[in-house]
Amino acid sequence: MTLLRTLRKGGVAAATSYKLILLMWVITLVMIMFVSVPLKSLLVNIFGNSMTVERFADGFDLGLAGDMGKPFLNLISAASTGGLLLMTAGFFLYTFFAGGFFASYSRAWGTLKTNAFIRESARHFLPFLKIALLMILIFAGWTFIVVGLPAIGTMTLLRGSTVGPYLIWIFFAIWLLGMPVWLFVSDASRRWVAATGSGQALRAVGAGFRALAERFWLSYSIVLVIMILNIIFIFLSMWFTAWSVPSNGWMIFLFFLATQALFITRLFMKAWRYASVCQKAAIPERGSNTK
Amino acid sequence: MKRFVLEIALWMPVLLSGQLIVDTPLSARLTGYDINAVLDPEEHIVSGEMTAWWVNNSEMPVGDVMMHMYLNAFSSNKSSFNAQGRWSPAGDDGWGWIKIRSINDSRGNDLSRSMSFLAPDDGNIHDKTVIQLILPEPVLPGDTLHLRISFDSKLPSPIVRTGYEDDFHFVAQWFPKFGVYETAGMRQREADGWNCHQFHPNSEFYSNHSVYNVAVTLPKEFVTGSGGMMIEEIDLGDSLKKVVWRAEDIVDFAWTAWPGYKVLTQKWRGVDITLLTTDRGLDKADNQFAAVVYALEYLDDRVGPYPWPHLTFVDPPVSGAGAGGMEYTTLFTSSGGGVVPSFLKMAEMVTIHEFGHAYFMGILASNEFEEPWLDEGVNSYWEQRIVDHYYGGGYGLIRLPFIKMSDADQGRLGYISSPSRAISTNDLPSWLYPHGTYGMMSYNKAAAWLHTLEGLVGTETMDNVFREYYRLWAFRHPSARDFIAVVNDVVTKEHGNMFGENLNWFFDQVLYGNEICDYRISGVTTHKIRSYAGVINGDSIAYTRSDRTSDTLYISRVSIERLGGVTLPVEVLIGFESGEEMLELWDGRGSFKDFEYTGASKVMWAKLDPGDKIDIDVDRINNSWSSVHKFAAARRMANKFVFLMQMLISLFTI
Repeated sequence: MTLLRTLRKGGVAAATSYKLILLMWVITLVMIMFVSVPLKSLLVNIFGNSMTVERFADGFDLGLAGDMGKPFLNLISAASTGGLLLMTAGFFLYTFFAGGFFASYSRAWGTLKTNAFIRESARHFLPFLKIALLMILIFAGWTFIVVGLPAIGTMTLLRGSTVGPYLIWIFFAIWLLGMPVWLFVSDASRRWVAATGSGQALRAVGAGFRALAERFWLSYSIVLVIMILNIIFIFLSMWFTAWSVPSNGWMIFLFFLATQALFITRLFMKAWRYASVCQKAAIPERGSNTK
Repeated sequence: MKRFVLEIALWMPVLLSGQLIVDTPLSARLTGYDINAVLDPEEHIVSGEMTAWWVNNSEMPVGDVMMHMYLNAFSSNKSSFNAQGRWSPAGDDGWGWIKIRSINDSRGNDLSRSMSFLAPDDGNIHDKTVIQLILPEPVLPGDTLHLRISFDSKLPSPIVRTGYEDDFHFVAQWFPKFGVYETAGMRQREADGWNCHQFHPNSEFYSNHSVYNVAVTLPKEFVTGSGGMMIEEIDLGDSLKKVVWRAEDIVDFAWTAWPGYKVLTQKWRGVDITLLTTDRGLDKADNQFAAVVYALEYLDDRVGPYPWPHLTFVDPPVSGAGAGGMEYTTLFTSSGGGVVPSFLKMAEMVTIHEFGHAYFMGILASNEFEEPWLDEGVNSYWEQRIVDHYYGGGYGLIRLPFIKMSDADQGRLGYISSPSRAISTNDLPSWLYPHGTYGMMSYNKAAAWLHTLEGLVGTETMDNVFREYYRLWAFRHPSARDFIAVVNDVVTKEHGNMFGENLNWFFDQVLYGNEICDYRISGVTTHKIRSYAGVINGDSIAYTRSDRTSDTLYISRVSIERLGGVTLPVEVLIGFESGEEMLELWDGRGSFKDFEYTGASKVMWAKLDPGDKIDIDVDRINNSWSSVHKFAAARRMANKFVFLMQMLISLFTI
């Protein structure tokens, strides 16, 4: 199967599962609003009837942080603590939904109904959680070896040298080029679990590596292409969001719609990667690797 | 005769070199130093032979001399510098010290036996940063004392303003230097005497404007820079060179040597500007030069001319970052030029600030130890004006579409957000500010009330105050009282008695007082006026309804309160439903004030201090009120938060 055909088929499968993507978007949005709405209220309460808020018309005026006093610290604390909680909840939520997506792309080619999607998500949650934690360890190890150690070495051995910063960039590039390997392994492992119904995370990761080894460059290229597109997309999205300063009600509403459209696209791209890896990986016979 | 011949001989280098840099002396030149030094880059020791001279300009004989020995601040963990700060040496080689090998007067008298350490600020017997020499004969009025001193200066590491790191050397406070002999009346002093403070973590400058002839021998590979003008560089063979500098009318002489420096030059209105930077700093060199030129241009136009034809500044390497952000008049150090992202004008801000010290402490040589606000506060005020003038359309420090901050607000933030903002008055010596409030008080609060003063008297008058301050006090030693006298003089000339007989009431509150300033709009109420309605109408008891057909009139009341102890005249801008605006003025003295309006249009909003002139008001949020809530910013920020979280969650989950 060629690269383009795999990517095209993956794209079609991801698009077919648009209801699942929208479900994921709604749940994510509601979850985040549990934190963002109180934050907005806090901000509104700080300013009350004050006209100082006009100074935020074209961006956050940091000079007002002192005037906001303790509530500003509360705001920052609530935003950072809330953000951390959301990240944790998001980790579990997305690990959960990944089960449904992989089941959908492994067996139903994106056409899973919502109740089946949730059932499959629940069924695969624990093995997927184990795989996610294993992959986090692998990512951390990879980052430490390829970026951390060279950075420490550069800072101590090449202190003050002009070569140091360039070396760090080279190691960062190597780190980035290694990422498709780990992403493919994590996706193929989960696909293996979804396809076989096995709950053994270590065997799943092993199967992921085997799947990678079979036609390595194709496996690598699939994820690399999607990863590059993702990086460009995320960069442009963040750039758009950071530099947009809508100042009246309608513009702010349009801005909200635009950002949500961007996020849905981002979810589609994630689903596209899952589906493409499922397309490529050879499906082992059901039960062949289970006891 | 013998003494005369000897004095002529000692004066010869100065007489021969004459006015090498400026056409006529800028200062009284009561002190001068000829130093021949050698840098040992392995041991990090500077060995010097120095002839120093001091002119007794008082009307009384002086029997002693006091000198700075500031490198001894790094000689033990018990020095006052270390007791107040947190410096520790990088191993046994990290200690710094200065040792006098020999000291003689022009008659050959050995003065080393009459030398003792003093601690005039805190009585710390372990502090060896000030010496007193008892002279065998007093120096008569008008006479000049010459001292020949041989000394060794070991530089400390890590660098705190001065010191070394590997082969990077920043050599400041490195030679025995005279204190300032103040005569009665000078800086409101009651009697003549030496003013010579110990070395403190937060202050190190108060000296006479002097002439320096400095020669340093060091290995050829070192690139050097100093506060002086380079006269010549002599190849001594054996991989050594001698660099000869001369500096005139500056209060301190520092120099630096590092093989890694890249040297760039520019010229501005006859001033040769030299930048010593690193490889990484080359990209930011244009920005750094622009910052210096902005500062030169702004201060030259609004305060007074920059009088020297040379200026050197240094962007130290990361390893020498401890030397960054320092000022030696015609030499200063910036910081972070190579590493801080360009949208954050931090490096430019530091460059402008440190250059500004050429005026505030360099030319206008106030006493940084005793009145740090007159140095750091005044300089911060001008730095903030310059940064906000040239960068970001008023938001000089950061100006991105989604976030912004002016330099003035950054300084004000340091003051208003400090829980200790009312802990003391603003006129304390640097080492006496309690609870780590030196920076907040000397830089931030002082700059904030100088902006407030500008808001009161106007920018043009404020500029004229500083022009007059420069005219009267350049190359002298002004005090806070001298500055206030200039303010009173100029403001009275330009505004009559608009602010009273003088502005002492202002300084009594902001400089000599510790109260805070906080005005607020406590509320705006509006109600309709109707014709009479009630049950008693004249002599009869009858139910009377108001006439609902008449035109509606409103009574609106804007209520203002003073929450802080500082009283200042404040403006209040009031907006009506009809679009009409009205500017009111309140003397700000009472604890509250109500403005009441009757008319067909009701008050829709009110702004206290609408021009943000009162920078020391600690809460500007309560300075305004609007009948319409404006949630747009909160909604926009909430939306951005939602999107940011969505992207982060999707990014950090596989």
